[in-house]
Amino acid sequence: MVQTQLLGIFCNWSPFACFNSAAMAHLKIPPNFGFIRVMCIGRINQALILRAFEHGADGVILLECKDEDCRYGPGPEVGHSNVAKVRKLLHILGIGQSRLVEQSFGAHEKNELVEALWDFSEQIQAMGSNPAKPRQERGIQREA
Amino acid sequence: MRLDDPRIKGFIRDKSLFMCLECGKCSASCPRMLSGKEYSPRLLAHKLIAEPDSESFIENSVWECLTCGLCEERCPSGVQVSRFIMEMRTLLAGTKGLKGYRSHDGALHSWMRLMTSPDLEQNRLGWLGGGLQVAQSGPVAFFTGCAPYFDVFFSGIEVNTLSIVRDSIRLLNFLEIVPVVLEKERCCGHDLLWTGDRENFEALCRLNYKEFQAAGVEEIIVSCPECYQVLGQYMPEVVPGMKKLKVTLLSDLLRREISKGGITFKPLKRRVTYQDPCRLGRMAGSCETPRALIQMIPEMAFKEMKNSGRSAICCGNNGFINCDAYSKRIQVERLQEAKATRSDLLITACPKCMIHLTCAMRDPYKHGSLSMEIRDLVSVLADQIEWSKGEEAIGAKTRSEKHA
Repeated sequence: MVQTQLLGIFCNWSPFACFNSAAMAHLKIPPNFGFIRVMCIGRINQALILRAFEHGADGVILLECKDEDCRYGPGPEVGHSNVAKVRKLLHILGIGQSRLVEQSFGAHEKNELVEALWDFSEQIQAMGSNPAKPRQERGIQREA
Repeated sequence: MRLDDPRIKGFIRDKSLFMCLECGKCSASCPRMLSGKEYSPRLLAHKLIAEPDSESFIENSVWECLTCGLCEERCPSGVQVSRFIMEMRTLLAGTKGLKGYRSHDGALHSWMRLMTSPDLEQNRLGWLGGGLQVAQSGPVAFFTGCAPYFDVFFSGIEVNTLSIVRDSIRLLNFLEIVPVVLEKERCCGHDLLWTGDRENFEALCRLNYKEFQAAGVEEIIVSCPECYQVLGQYMPEVVPGMKKLKVTLLSDLLRREISKGGITFKPLKRRVTYQDPCRLGRMAGSCETPRALIQMIPEMAFKEMKNSGRSAICCGNNGFINCDAYSKRIQVERLQEAKATRSDLLITACPKCMIHLTCAMRDPYKHGSLSMEIRDLVSVLADQIEWSKGEEAIGAKTRSEKHA
């Protein structure tokens, strides 16, 4: 089975603080993750999420602050609305809406964060590759 | 790539740019120019021929065109500007990468490219039901296009492009046509083609053709003018087998069937105006049919906008690139023209016109002064059509069942 490739998008504040302290505590992070850090999940729009899938991501997880903790105000709200819309698009496309999830963390929740990453990784590994992933990356030979 | 590339010389020759008289009618009619942008098709032609080293000017002009075709309409020498722009974009995209400012950060182009995967099992038919009759296979298909995707993506501005698809099928059912609706249909690729992504456009064409073949389709009915242009004109260039399939515009089919008699329309006491989509009016030459259909509805007062028919102004955007302050200005001016007709209903025939104009209407700084109801021609017809005997005829029941 092909190893899935996942993208985690961190908000710079609470979730990234969790990630930092998880790394300091030598907690094991799933190896099939690539991470991006942005200042706020509100920065991420529908297009950026879709582009991750276009470039072959098998799953995307948005790691955001708790609604009341946002440093900027509407970040998590924007995140919720984008995720809701892109999940619908992924469903229509046949990629599957469960390949996109969002989860919020307080700044002290390093164990919860690592657990969420492992859960997501296992869940996507069970689903297999994103059907829209370029075929050579899924080990399928291109038709002549 | 240098701009004295022989391929560019070839496009200049093939698309008749050498025929340019520099009369300037193109620039004087260009909606981009008229909205205040420093943009000139005339200067582009001049630079291409006489100053090919003005690389950045030429490239910017190529990417910033709206491809609405109004310059082509005015040109006395028959220069094929839009087609030239398309070929140049394809070439530039292949050598220097895709450019052009992508509206919505390119989300629409992303899902169109995602659809090029042959293994995708889409769930695009969730909107069916409510008595609509469709088939799995057969000779006549209806091409839905991107409507299921638009409605999710543009839910923020409350456009309902799926209603156009539902109403199209209601009308076809009314005419006793049960069309094939394909579960695995892909986007027609119009936006990828016009933004220079020829490779993925061709992939979509081949996948769509395979689906048509598998369902035994001989005729494809479309209501979106962009799908009509691509399926009828550009897809046969990629898949020669498409030449054997007939592509019919829904409005042409309706006009033909209604002229046979037996069908009337319920009166609609409203004042309406009509926005000609560029792909329908200028490029497919269908200005008269939509007007003939509108005028079949009794008691409806139809008033033309200042610029209409083949001279209609663009809805401000094409292929979801280049939406900027100037596009907005084009849209605002277009809506003001519509308002000046004192109409309360703006009819259009293209889902993209509907999306772009609805977006402009919702500008908070205009305080609702531009807002008016906007509906697709198909939806207006579907709501008003009835058999002459006065039965409630739209819906699941076919003509024969009703007369039985």
